[in-house]
Amino acid sequence: MAFLLRQKIAFLTAYVMLMLVARLSAQLPPDSHARIELIAEQNTMLPGKPLWVGLLFRLDSGWHIYWQNPGDSGEPPKVQWQLPQGLAAGAIRWPQPVRLGSGTVIDYGYEGQVLLMAPIENTSKAQATSLPSLAADVKYIVCREMCIPGKAHLTLAPPPGGDWDRWRVLFQQTRAQLPKPAPPGWKISAESDKAHFIVSVRGAAQVRSASFFPLDPGLIDNSSQQDFASNREGFSLTLKKSEQLSKPISTLRGLIVLGPGRAFEVAAPVVAR
Amino acid sequence: MTKQFLTSIFVAFAVLIALPAAWAAQVGQPAPEFTATDSNGQVHTLSQYRGKFVVLEWTNRGCPYTQKHYNSGNMQRLQREWTSRGVIWLTVVSSAPGKQGYVTASEENAYLKQANAAPTAVLLDPTGALGHLYDAKTTPHMFIINPQGTLIYNGAIDDRPTTDVADVNGAKNYVSAALGEATAGKPVGTPTSRPYGCSVKYAE
Repeated sequence: MAFLLRQKIAFLTAYVMLMLVARLSAQLPPDSHARIELIAEQNTMLPGKPLWVGLLFRLDSGWHIYWQNPGDSGEPPKVQWQLPQGLAAGAIRWPQPVRLGSGTVIDYGYEGQVLLMAPIENTSKAQATSLPSLAADVKYIVCREMCIPGKAHLTLAPPPGGDWDRWRVLFQQTRAQLPKPAPPGWKISAESDKAHFIVSVRGAAQVRSASFFPLDPGLIDNSSQQDFASNREGFSLTLKKSEQLSKPISTLRGLIVLGPGRAFEVAAPVVAR
Repeated sequence: MTKQFLTSIFVAFAVLIALPAAWAAQVGQPAPEFTATDSNGQVHTLSQYRGKFVVLEWTNRGCPYTQKHYNSGNMQRLQREWTSRGVIWLTVVSSAPGKQGYVTASEENAYLKQANAAPTAVLLDPTGALGHLYDAKTTPHMFIINPQGTLIYNGAIDDRPTTDVADVNGAKNYVSAALGEATAGKPVGTPTSRPYGCSVKYAE
């Protein structure tokens, strides 16, 4: 009997310790196919300059999370920041997404590793300080053939081994690949007919191919072929409207993508053809 | 092979390839006719329900967005509420064999009992033919057809595109709103919305 009791105590202790360990590594939920950390670009907060922080998602092979327009299915990750007094978080800067899915259901999102960064503004303008204690509550859905919703409460933790260079480089690399404003020489407009939006870009004579990623869901049919046509002045993209679009729109916002790392933000005023 | 025959073949072909890719199921247009078999082996066509309102509900029991509506009892409540008023409610499973949500007839019947669901019937569509006919994108994705056979709603079940069961109660349910308006002879206020959910697991 005493032996069995010892066994039970040993088991219970092991169980409690396992639970403690699981709670401490709250940044790495088991079996979720997404490991998420809250990281910062540097270890000081400078007055008058934002501190860039980011949600670093590392996804198992074949799994993806979604862009701010998820496309036909899924939803983008959402974050609620917990900040000390005097600090305010700016919007997430979404890196250039990829097209996901096949056939008639097409989504936009990220595979592998992606850093979703946001600026923390120092509104109290104090002198340079060490990192504030920040936290973020993140809700997300990660999918492959099936979807798994997840949430994580993340706190800002220093990099392993104090290697701030590694994170700083990650922020710099991500920043370099973010969508950029359209080149000043581009004249962008869009026409709307019964079934299509036709986006025209003048002042872009050298472009050989381009595709459009809509910023707002429910406007274009994501699975339809986009017809690219180049002309003397630039190019046009013919986009089939979404089946669920029932009202006219005034502006078609999105990314015109010429290639990896060459995504340009456009907001084309729409006129009826 | 007369010249006339060849000409008419040519014209028919030319018309076919010249047709712009129309939308599958457009609100305001006749809903696509279909023939499908349910989990009890019965065959259903859309035309047999002329004279009634018909709801098509795409489902996948493994999808967390679908689970939000079934675990909360929301979908079952809607099925009961509207079928009791003479609406035909057809749940559709378009998951291909081997993919999430695929069920055999007996598995589906067992699930219906366990979930206490109350559709008029569940149409099993493993080839995805019905799904592609309507261009169903997500689970759930809802369509409503009026007694004249016109599609009057195509879109999401409600306005809270999340997996959170807590979002069921405060949501505006587009299906109930559309059926309430249409059965009272009023125009549907929100005839389309962006459907939300997991992608329908069609065959490759």
